[in-house]
Formats: sequence, structure tokens, C-alpha cells
Amino acid sequence: MWKRTARGRELHFYLAGINNQNFLMRDRETGSWWQQVTGRAIAGELAGSALELMPNDELTFGLWKSETPQGRALVLAPVSGHEKDYDKEWEKEVAKYPVPLTFPGQGLKDRDVVLGIVIGGQARAFPLEKVRGASPVDDKIGGVPVALVTGPDGESVRIFRSQWNGLDIELYRDAQNPEWRLVDSQGNTWNFTGCATSGPAAGQCLEKINFLKDYWFDWKNYNPQTTVYSH
Amino acid sequence: MDSRSENRKLWLLLGLLAALSLSLFLIPAFIIRPFRYQSESALALAIAVKRIAPALSLAALAGVLALGLRLWRSSSKLLRSGFVVTLVLGAASAVMVRQNYFEWMFHPITAAGFVSAGDARLSDKEMVMAVQVGPEARAYPIVQMAYHHILNDTVVGVPIAVTY
Repeated sequence: MWKRTARGRELHFYLAGINNQNFLMRDRETGSWWQQVTGRAIAGELAGSALELMPNDELTFGLWKSETPQGRALVLAPVSGHEKDYDKEWEKEVAKYPVPLTFPGQGLKDRDVVLGIVIGGQARAFPLEKVRGASPVDDKIGGVPVALVTGPDGESVRIFRSQWNGLDIELYRDAQNPEWRLVDSQGNTWNFTGCATSGPAAGQCLEKINFLKDYWFDWKNYNPQTTVYSH
Repeated sequence: MDSRSENRKLWLLLGLLAALSLSLFLIPAFIIRPFRYQSESALALAIAVKRIAPALSLAALAGVLALGLRLWRSSSKLLRSGFVVTLVLGAASAVMVRQNYFEWMFHPITAAGFVSAGDARLSDKEMVMAVQVGPEARAYPIVQMAYHHILNDTVVGVPIAVTY
């Protein structure tokens, strides 16, 4: 998801093609060509420009509702006439599609879903299966401690910089507690929005880390130097 | 130069213009296709062709038409029908280079509608992309975005492109 402004101009994008199974878009204002996954213009007047990332979450609807106060929460309505085009099985369908590129040798299959993070120029891919199986996953990328956390719904994932008050913290699931929460060694408890609900950090929130949920072949194509998390 | 050899050259030119006209559509259509590898240079070529295609396909069509009319009287029935087929193909190419057939497959959202979270007919298990700007939260069901791919939206004054 991107902010649709470049060089001080508001842009409107439309679907214009496909490049190695990743779509190309053009803007109505200049006709420049953009790669969706990188947010970069590859041809046209704006070639070389990059869109700014719009922070967003990928959550289950149930979790999103529970986190969002009613009243100011809007959901995109289905476009009438297209209900039949919304294929609930699309992930299974896409998983069967052929891939234009293949990157064997790092233990992942082409269409394995990974969560990709880039910090300080260092890219790392976390297989989604692993993140869901062992949440939270604690790791360090470019010296920055991160925690990949699967939420109370068992589906939604957020990634936090596991640092508070200048200190690295390690987060654990508190499975004893009936309410979903994380704890750390400083005596704090944290909820899935990354905010401390009790302890010395109460009321403060961890920094959220942007990531891309992507197929392995696509992530590797745009991040050739990527490492793969393998603990 | 006798008129027969001149005519042959004009027919050759007509054929080349027709080939040019068709390749203006076919080259990018062939390169920018799903499930196949696109190298950076092939993609650059496809985009370059797409840029000149609208004007050049019209020019090629005009050339085919002018040459065909000039050659009409001296041509056999076979050549005349060949010319008509070429003209139709050239016209089709000039139309196709102006079409965005990717939007035929995946219709864009021209006017986005929203419902409140309480009124949305979604199961709790469905995935959404969620943004928050100030007090306002918006959710975009992924099953919808995986079809439309792009939504130009504005949330509390912030213009965003939701892409999936």
C-alpha cells in the first residue's frame, strides 16, 4: 500500500500489465509505469521516483473490528456486479500457477509465503509457516531486534522492534493467562497492537516494523541478497 | 522504371507497413504476458513500443490505405482481397494498441463504496488490509482487492493507493 503522491503531485493509478507475476501500474497524470511491489517508477516522466509506503496491517476482519472503535471504521463494499469475481479460494488457485522465476537453494519453494523485512539495507525472509508455528519469533536484522508476533486469531501477524527504553527486550507469549498477551523480562505485558498494558512501560507502544507478505520467488527477485530465517 | 517493378516495390512497402502495424500490438502483448519471465530489457522494449504505438499505428494504417488505393486499379482480385485483409488487420491493431485489456480482465473500482464495520457482510475469518489515519480506520477485504488489484482512495485527506 502506497501514498499516491510523487514529486509533489497527486497520482491516480490503474492496472497496466504484468512483470514476472507482479503487476505493473500506470498513473493517469503522466502515464509513467510503476512496479507495484517496489513502488518505483520504471519508465516515463516519473522514472526513478519512489512512492512512500503507507503503513498498514493485514488482519482478520474479526480482529480488526475488535481493535477499532465503531463509528469511524469503514469497510470497502463489494462493487456491485463483481461479487462472482471475488474468489474466496484465490490463494489456493494462485498457489497452482506456474512461476516465471525460480530460486532454489535456500530451502524454500517458489510459492512459499514469506514475510520480508528490510532494515538498514539487510533483507530477511521469514517463512509464514514458521512464524505462525512459533510465535513470537525473535530475531535481529542489521543489529535491530525484531519480534514477529501472531495475534489472538492465530492468523494476523505484526512485527515489532523489540526495544523499549533503549534496551533490547525479549517477548514471550503468556499462555497461562486467559487473555492473549505478551510478557517481557522487565515485568511488562503487551497486547497485539504492541502497546504495554501493565508494567513500567504501561501506556507506551513498541515501534511497528513494515513488512511485505510475498511469495518466495518474488521476494528473492527484488531482494537478491536476502537471507532466510532458519531457526 | 517500368510500372510492374514499381508496383512490386509498393506492394512490398505495403506489406512492411502492415507488419509494422501488427507488431506494434503484438510485441508488447507477447512480452507483457502472465506466467512468463520478463527480462528488464524486454520489458523496456515493450514499454517503448507501447509509447509510440498509438501514433505510429495510425500512420502505418494511413500508409497502407494510400498505397492500396493507388494499387487498386492495376491489381488482380487476389491482391485486392489481400489489401482488404491487410487494411482490416491494420485497423484492428490501431484499435487494440489503444485498449487496456488488463482492465477487461480485472475491472477497476471507479467509485468505491464503504459500509460501517457493523454493516459489513464479512466473516470474522476473512483477511483485510487495514489502515488508520488519525481517528479513521479503513479495511479493504483482500478477496476484493485480489480481483480489482488497485484502489485509489483518500483517508482523512491522505491520498493512498491500496494495491494487492
